[in-house]
Amino acid sequence: MRLARRLGIKLAAGLVMIWLVASGTFFLVRLMPGNPVTVAYENDLMHGMNPNQAKAATALLYGFVPRQPLPVQYGRYLWQLAHFNLGRSISYEGVPVSHIVAAAAPWTVIMVLSGILVSFLIGVSAGVLAAIRRSTKFGDLLSVSGSLLHGIPQFVIAILLAYAFTTIWAIFPFGAPYDVTIAPGWNLPFIWSLITHAFLPVVAYALSSYGGWLLTMKSSVISVLGDDFILAAELRGLRPLTVARYIARNAMLPLFTILALSIGFMFGGSIFIEEIYDYPGLGYSLLESIGKRDYPLMTGTFLIITTAVIFANILADLLYGVIDPRVRRI
Amino acid sequence: MTAHLTAAEQRTRPAGVAVSDLTVAFPAGGRELPAVSHVSLDLTPGKITGLVGESGSGKSTLALALMNAVPKPGLVTSGSVHIDGIGNVLSLTGSGLRRVRGPGIGYVFQASQNSLNPLKTVGKQLLDLGRSHGEKNLRGLLRRARELIEDMGLDAVRVLSSYQHELSGGMRQRVGIVFALLLNAQVLVLDEPTTALDMLSQASVLEIIKRVHRDLGLTTLVISHDLGVVGELADRTVVMYAGRVVEEGETQGILRDPRHPYTRGLLAAMPRITGDLELARALPGRPPDLLTIPRAGCVFRERCPLAMPVCADSEPPDTLSGGRRFACFAAAGSAGATSAGHAETEAAS
Amino acid sequence: MTAIIPLLPEEAGAATAPVRRRRRGRWRLLLRTPGRVFGFAVIALFTLMAIIGPYLYPRNLPIDPSAIYAGPSLAHPLGTDFEGTDVLALIVTGARYVLLSAVIAAAVTIAIGTAAGLASGYYRGLADSSIMRVTDFVLTIPGFPLLIVLSTVWDFGSPYSMGLVLGIVGWGGLARAVRSQTLSLRERSFLEAARGLGLPGRHIIWREILPNVAPYIAMNLLLSITGAIYAEVGLFFLGVVPFNTSNWGVMLNIAVFSAGAVTSPQALTYLLSPLICILLLTLAIVLLLNAVDEWFNPRLREI
Repeated sequence: MRLARRLGIKLAAGLVMIWLVASGTFFLVRLMPGNPVTVAYENDLMHGMNPNQAKAATALLYGFVPRQPLPVQYGRYLWQLAHFNLGRSISYEGVPVSHIVAAAAPWTVIMVLSGILVSFLIGVSAGVLAAIRRSTKFGDLLSVSGSLLHGIPQFVIAILLAYAFTTIWAIFPFGAPYDVTIAPGWNLPFIWSLITHAFLPVVAYALSSYGGWLLTMKSSVISVLGDDFILAAELRGLRPLTVARYIARNAMLPLFTILALSIGFMFGGSIFIEEIYDYPGLGYSLLESIGKRDYPLMTGTFLIITTAVIFANILADLLYGVIDPRVRRI
Repeated sequence: MTAHLTAAEQRTRPAGVAVSDLTVAFPAGGRELPAVSHVSLDLTPGKITGLVGESGSGKSTLALALMNAVPKPGLVTSGSVHIDGIGNVLSLTGSGLRRVRGPGIGYVFQASQNSLNPLKTVGKQLLDLGRSHGEKNLRGLLRRARELIEDMGLDAVRVLSSYQHELSGGMRQRVGIVFALLLNAQVLVLDEPTTALDMLSQASVLEIIKRVHRDLGLTTLVISHDLGVVGELADRTVVMYAGRVVEEGETQGILRDPRHPYTRGLLAAMPRITGDLELARALPGRPPDLLTIPRAGCVFRERCPLAMPVCADSEPPDTLSGGRRFACFAAAGSAGATSAGHAETEAAS
Repeated sequence: MTAIIPLLPEEAGAATAPVRRRRRGRWRLLLRTPGRVFGFAVIALFTLMAIIGPYLYPRNLPIDPSAIYAGPSLAHPLGTDFEGTDVLALIVTGARYVLLSAVIAAAVTIAIGTAAGLASGYYRGLADSSIMRVTDFVLTIPGFPLLIVLSTVWDFGSPYSMGLVLGIVGWGGLARAVRSQTLSLRERSFLEAARGLGLPGRHIIWREILPNVAPYIAMNLLLSITGAIYAEVGLFFLGVVPFNTSNWGVMLNIAVFSAGAVTSPQALTYLLSPLICILLLTLAIVLLLNAVDEWFNPRLREI
């Protein structure tokens, strides 16, 4: 009951946020120098369409119609959005934005998800070690590796990796998500080429998020180690394995929430990597749309990126309620 | 270390604890600073011993040393803790030590500390405790837990399915005692059992300690900064100051006729409900911490109204007088008692 | 537990030095380890570059069609770019935009974040819930994609406008930290006493709370400077912002996407120079963060 109510409130707040973002992008496009909607409309007129045809064509692209009062256009736009219609791309000559986004999303999801999982597993284990061995050279080294990698911007890591492993040592292929000479399909060479092309982007993503996991886990473990109940468990003679489980579960608690949040940020989190490695994900689409002034595609992609974050927030909140009994009752 | 007694044997014969010449030091800046210094004391089987002292007097460190659990970077640099039926706890390591903690000695934390895993119910943690000590009959274990909980005036079903945050301070403390007693420990150590509890919970927790001590025939050590708590509970009282035992004896005797000026100071500082508040005088000065403990002479001399020149030169030896032990030159002079070294003290107490 | 507290390693260690706070000792602390001296030196060097750099070179840097992507030489210590312009000159003149906008961004972040956090933590109630709604919203919108979208309408040509936008996008985290700190300070006895004495809220916020949240603000100042540097260099690197200025991000963009520096070694120094500048700045700030931590946290000193 309580959970349902909580979920309801969160969902409502999320919808309000999505509405705010959608409205923001709607008016942003209207604000643009040389308002692209009007430009497209006038372009169509010049190409010999009559005003009605031009209106229809523009409405198809943007989800709203020029030369109508702004509130009417706005209402139409929201109505289309509510039906998951993100408009049609200009640069792809009328292909629905939702199709382009759906084609791009898997690339981002697979690459970023692998990167998150790899960095989470390694970073969290390293964080535990750094916490337990915090007064030794080894522990210091781990912590420093975390701080440095956490501090270096993602694009620097990605460029350096690309330079090191595709140019100096030409181990991995560079550019494009797979070898174009191989016919796509469920065959071994193609899958192998997918993996080798994804390797560096995944490693770049993992390296740039490894430090964050390490540092967070380290401080979480240290704070749990100082908790009275761990000493109590030892003084009650609990098995070392049981004590370790107590520590692990309590220290992981904040990490799970962050994991859920970072999965939400994944759609917009790999823009640099996708651009550097020519990986056709959502970040790539966003940049492409800006380069080509494809505003429907731009607003659509941004809306998807933001919506993912909003839903991940709700998920993280619920997850926390499930795994931490202290929040359950609230 | 020789043999583990069965629960039945433990019930019939409470175990004594003998601490001798125990020193716990914390290394700092190339020196070793003793938090507990050459402490010898006995916990009489079947009796409640009270340990009083201000914060920083080393009483909690001493209590942890009984469990061989001195917090890092502290080190036991001398002495032993002998428990009947177990042997010298300080020589145990690894799983040998682990098996003593719980079934041998039960430890109860301060009420203000969270001694329970916040993510597990009390019942599940009791089961963890049983499994960790190889208890096969978990059903029987839970039955015993339920009996203990109900014996303390709590609703067993509710408590077992509760998380730590769902229990009040007094309830937590009682649950802490259940954890300490579940495995039939014969020695019970309570560190500040009533601090941070309200008056009513305080009274009922004290009542419970008295009752379980009597019913289960335990050897109990109660640590408190509050002479009132110790006076209420303990058969014998040990007064600690700056890591040393400064006075020890029957509780009634100490309350009636304190010998050491520090004990007198503690008593004088105690406000009484019926007495005049004006009569309660705080002890002048502050207790020393590890760094400011005087290195030579009597550790109390800087706050002592009776300090003499000799106090600055050498540490006062233990004086035995009428079942009482104290370490003070001035008090020894007025009592006219004989001085005794550590070895004799042990024999006498 | 009280008896154990004085025995914690930090305190036992700190005990060898006088624990009293001394101003001079605090300043010395910033230069105590070689790492911090290095950090300071790097930051001082880049600051100097930002201030006087543009005066060292002509407004339009000379081009040299005969030395395109030349390697390092005496005349061009870091080689040249696609027009034969000296890379060192590009780095030096580009520092101003990068650092100036980062400092402005950090100032805006601190101003909004601190004000919002203090107000919502201290006044609570309606002010709190409405401010936190806005904060949640700001924190939820993914910042970098938002910057990219904004680049279509906003002119990022001047460091001031860049800094302003970066600051407006990035204050959410600080506001939350300051708020939770204020909430916990509010319950402390010295603040209850101050309120009991009828001191005005303004006095309590400025004199009692602000000094206590200063550590968070100082840490955030450094972190938002680095964050802003990454974001702006990143924007230029991706090429979504028109190149009407020369700066490190522009250099990276040309090196990677136009010169193909990643796949051919010809523009190596052109690629590496801005990268190394960013790495140096990052390293310097990470090293100093630790000093700021100790500055406000006497317990951490002397370990």
